[in-house]
Amino acid sequence: MSLVNFTAREITCKIVYYGPGRSGKTTNLQYIYSRVPESRKGRMVSLATQTDRTLFFDFLPLELGTISGFSTRFQLYTVPGQVYYNATRKLVLQGADGVVFIADSQVRQLDENIESLQNLHANLLEQGIDVRTVPVVLQYNKQDLPRDLILTHTELDEALNFRAVPSYPADALSGRGVFETLKGISEQVLRRLSEEAPK
Amino acid sequence: MTGTRAVEQWTVAPLERFVTEAGARLTLLMTPAGQVLAQHGFARAVDVMSAAALGAAIVSSTGELARMLAERDFTALNHQGVKHGIFLSGFESPRGRLLALVVYGPDSSVGLVSLFFEELVRDLVATCPPPAPKKPVLAADFERELNESLASLFGR
Repeated sequence: MSLVNFTAREITCKIVYYGPGRSGKTTNLQYIYSRVPESRKGRMVSLATQTDRTLFFDFLPLELGTISGFSTRFQLYTVPGQVYYNATRKLVLQGADGVVFIADSQVRQLDENIESLQNLHANLLEQGIDVRTVPVVLQYNKQDLPRDLILTHTELDEALNFRAVPSYPADALSGRGVFETLKGISEQVLRRLSEEAPK
Repeated sequence: MTGTRAVEQWTVAPLERFVTEAGARLTLLMTPAGQVLAQHGFARAVDVMSAAALGAAIVSSTGELARMLAERDFTALNHQGVKHGIFLSGFESPRGRLLALVVYGPDSSVGLVSLFFEELVRDLVATCPPPAPKKPVLAADFERELNESLASLFGR
């Protein structure tokens, strides 16, 4: 849950980028890292294999700025997408205030997207968390690929977005949709802090 | 080196006592999810968060290994380098499980840190107040400020 320091007026929130292997979770963080001024970010920590596949997590701390008089910080994490690393995915998911699910828009990756989404639900449930109570947004990455290789935003919504959460088309390599996705999850996570009785 | 900063003020006195007596250079108190409750010695908030994320990950992964071995949690981990050592340990408190990451130099030792860490845990458990009831933190119209903050973050 978000950590609130009333004395120093600071808020810290943990956001986890989840999704199947090679869907673009690390690319999202790398793009954010490349665009944010030095003074507003920390070192990006990547625990990766020799072939740059995420082994444990990527981590990027951001200073968002002052919101309602609170200095607000976000901790962005990615999980390893490969099926093999479920144990570490569970560890990274602990204490998440919000989840960004990065789906790969390619037609041939649909089953992997569904499997990863089910895995997210299962891992949250294992921690006693109902996915309906956690802020989640979806990002449909790789929308820049040729039309015949990918599913459209509407088709992906029909296949994956049965809770009708906010969803964003993206091309994380060029940065399209990355900002909108971060804005979407930020709004949802912070909205809970403006509610009278946060869950 | 900077002083002690804490999200939870009741941690300050026990932490400062520990740092002095154990000769710790850096100390972090955090939740198992890597959220920082208090810190001593770090210069930048963002560096604190990176250290907390890595420390929590180490404790989590060794805890999971312990579970697979049907072992009780490993109580503490220590890594000794040439110039620095790091000591990581978890403990139960009235606020749930908490973790500590301690960095010490050649002027201290793992024995000294372990010894005073036990005292730190006792002090923290004794001073820990019950959790405060949840209340709204942000104004209902926080979106405008959020949008401005994100826009400036991305140079838009």
